[in-house]
Amino acid sequence: MFVFSFGAPGMQATNITAIFGTVDRMGAFDVMASVRELSGWINGMVIAGVGGTAICADLGARKVREELDAISVLGLDPVREIVTPRFLALGVMTPLMNLVAVVISLTGCWVADIVVWGETTGGFLATFTSNFSLPDFLGAVLRSIGVGFIVAIACCYKGMYVKGGAQGVGRAVNQAVVIAFAGIWAFSNLFTATMLAAFPETGNLH
Amino acid sequence: MEASTVRTPRVGSSLAPPGPGARLAEGFLGPIRNALRTAGDIGVFVGRTLIELGGVWRYSAEILRQAGILIAGSAVIVCFMVFLMGVVCGTEANYVLRGYGATVYSGVFTSYCMVREMIPHMFGYILSAKVGCGLCAEIGAMRIQDEIDAMESMGLNPLRYVVATRLVAGWLVLPFFFILATASGFAALYLIIVVQIGEVSQGGWEHVHWAFSTPADFFYSFLRVMVTGTVILLLGMYYGYRASGGPIGVGTATAKSMILNLVLLHFILAGMTMMIWGLNPNAPIGG
Repeated sequence: MFVFSFGAPGMQATNITAIFGTVDRMGAFDVMASVRELSGWINGMVIAGVGGTAICADLGARKVREELDAISVLGLDPVREIVTPRFLALGVMTPLMNLVAVVISLTGCWVADIVVWGETTGGFLATFTSNFSLPDFLGAVLRSIGVGFIVAIACCYKGMYVKGGAQGVGRAVNQAVVIAFAGIWAFSNLFTATMLAAFPETGNLH
Repeated sequence: MEASTVRTPRVGSSLAPPGPGARLAEGFLGPIRNALRTAGDIGVFVGRTLIELGGVWRYSAEILRQAGILIAGSAVIVCFMVFLMGVVCGTEANYVLRGYGATVYSGVFTSYCMVREMIPHMFGYILSAKVGCGLCAEIGAMRIQDEIDAMESMGLNPLRYVVATRLVAGWLVLPFFFILATASGFAALYLIIVVQIGEVSQGGWEHVHWAFSTPADFFYSFLRVMVTGTVILLLGMYYGYRASGGPIGVGTATAKSMILNLVLLHFILAGMTMMIWGLNPNAPIGG
């Protein structure tokens, strides 16, 4: 719930922001940038910053209170009982949130283009629909699934292997965020470069 | 007494539970009230820290030590992330401008993308993740282990010795981080645009890139880095300073500082973009 309530305002702030700066081009450029790049990372980073840190802090606290050991003693596998559901949940939630992020960031583009720069809504929509191709959309969804998995793995790993009390939990959350951010960026760069090379038509302005 | 057995007195009728209207109003007003309370608390914390800056020079050794920790711990990751940002900007510059048939002008895109927007954004992200969260975890652990109370009882002002020294250390280190990170970001742009994709010659890219990056752009970018960096450091330390509730408390405080930093970062950078460049992109092309 926390993730959901914070995701939207966080991303809205993000996207409107980032887009106000780069509105030297028209709608098509904004659309491509926001669908292909911005919403992907920003969504991933907000998920890592909100959901990932919460998961890491939660798992770290369980480790410190020896709940994870208790689960093992009961004959249950903590990875299967605790990590897997979170892994799948982030994998499902990140693309869904990504779609929300795309819509919100497009609203940000629209506000910037129409209200600030005096474009027309018709022109914006026309360039949007002619440029928003299926590979773009599927690529955004696939990439955000990968991003969700990266965040889940980094945060669960760091949370499950916490050492040393309060300091350890804090440090684990910190390291988890850094690893997740680096992973998100490296992964989305590789993914975008591959997608642009594999589907050259996504890079064109139609 | 156990915390769960303490009953807070109900407002209004003492026995009947609050009606749906009252609960609805509380549901809307409660978060607002809490947000305002936290904002006021942050304001008091920041104000007291700024007052303590006057006497912080007594602890210059501690300032230098903290600056050393920042450099050793964060310089590499900051440069690496800005490098990745450069990779993104370079790739997108080439592919987007290829659509316009103007790949030669990749330099415009890289200059605006990197210098104006993405270096401050990336700095903010990675500072809040690495430095803000790190300070929060460190100071939170000090708070939980009663080290801060111990300092107070020894007559050492923790706001001055712990918080203000770290703030000054951050101010000392950030300009150098900015230079290093900008260099690594530009190296990434060069690698992607000239070496990897290779549609633009080195001279062509450099000419356009430097024609569109003015000293004022670098100065404003630096200003944005310093402003967001200060906010991030202060917020991280605030949540650490106010951490409570054992190891879990430190974890949740760290998570909270991360969220607030991410949100505030974007508001500040958006505001500064509008203020500095707004509708006047200050480009060296006609009219």
